[in-house]
Amino acid sequence: MIELKNDQLVFRFADVHADARLTIEFQRTLRIPDDDRTYPLPPGLGRFPIRHVDDFAVNVPEPWIEHGGVMLPMYQSEALWVNFHSSYPFAVRVATGKIDAVTGKQLRPGLGRDPQNYLAIPEQPWLDGYCVKRGEIRQFVAMPLGAGYSAEEQITGAAESGGLQLVAYPMKAKVYERLRLDRAGLVLGRGEFTKVFAMAAPDMGLAPGGRMRQEIFDDPHKLTDWDQDHSGRCFVHLANSFAWRQITGEVPPTVPPTAKEYTKAGLPWFEYYDDRLEAVAGSSIIEQLKSVAGMGREKGDVPLPENQAVHATPIVVLRKGLAKGQVREGTF
Amino acid sequence: MAKGFGDFVRKRREALRQRDERFSVRQVAQRIGVEPSFLSKVERGDVPPPSESKVVALARELGEDPDVLLALAGKVSSDLQDAIRKRPELFGSLLRELKDMPDHAVLRLVREVRDGKW
Repeated sequence: MIELKNDQLVFRFADVHADARLTIEFQRTLRIPDDDRTYPLPPGLGRFPIRHVDDFAVNVPEPWIEHGGVMLPMYQSEALWVNFHSSYPFAVRVATGKIDAVTGKQLRPGLGRDPQNYLAIPEQPWLDGYCVKRGEIRQFVAMPLGAGYSAEEQITGAAESGGLQLVAYPMKAKVYERLRLDRAGLVLGRGEFTKVFAMAAPDMGLAPGGRMRQEIFDDPHKLTDWDQDHSGRCFVHLANSFAWRQITGEVPPTVPPTAKEYTKAGLPWFEYYDDRLEAVAGSSIIEQLKSVAGMGREKGDVPLPENQAVHATPIVVLRKGLAKGQVREGTF
Repeated sequence: MAKGFGDFVRKRREALRQRDERFSVRQVAQRIGVEPSFLSKVERGDVPPPSESKVVALARELGEDPDVLLALAGKVSSDLQDAIRKRPELFGSLLRELKDMPDHAVLRLVREVRDGKW
């Protein structure tokens, strides 16, 4: 079951294992320049608010009620990253507009290893975008659904789903118990409604933005270790922030700082490595997509204000998997 | 007990701090309205956990469930205490009835995110 608590989605599989609890939240962040340079990880600027679509059924588009799930507000050209928190292992699929963010293929049920179509949690702490190639992603950037920028529209030619979809599968309880022993503490029904007013279409989709260094880790477990008989899924609708107040009566978060403002203030960027893990190769489907800036140039639009390159320093390097005092062998 | 609470808070705060400087001891302390030195002592287990309202504020900051953090601090949320005090017979028997039930049975009472057709 999935619960919404404190702007976080809490997935629980009490019938699999008492520890099988996964928290997923969406972090506000700055948009990195979409200029084909590769940037480090941008910071987290706090959680996006999340609400049940059912609580605002009168004000949200009809398909949102059909999809069920939750919603959060995003400005056009705003970026987000997904933060995972669990000590119990999970395989999590992330799709935008029902296009898998790791493989670029249509979201169909089930986990696959060739290519890997999921993230292994807790090894994968974050996801900032679409897996373009080994060690590189393109940032998730919100664009109005129907404007042609989203990964969904570029791949399927239609603006049908939008939003972001999550499907989580817990590890089989017996595998978890075995790992735990091995490692002594795994680190690892609505009524009738009438629309009362018309408003701008609030539906946003995610599109590939600037390039960023981030590894999607190859699953260190076996495919059969995951309990595919149990899964929980959630449709996360993205509402244009300008419509958020009309929908919910709440003020959306402010516009995040630009990459330039952030860097000028001397605030840090991040890099994350885990020396125990390999990265999966990227998706050739996603690699071929046009970035928001690239498509804007074709359309004669300027979809991304403030898109100048920045010198992303200082960089804080976060490194997992080295024993204390161990010297890391680099590439040379 | 204080040590377990402090350890838990420190680990979670440091995990969040990896990508967000606002999770330094100083800034978290400031946001929940305590002295940074006090929060450090709490994390080290040198002093007992803070008051209920501070534990709840800390839970919200860290994205943890307030009830879980309160339990780690050896406390029960005052709204739950009030609920029991107001209707002691009803809630007393309800809790006794539920306390040995498996999690999945109890979770049926919690509001789920509704899934639809997509």
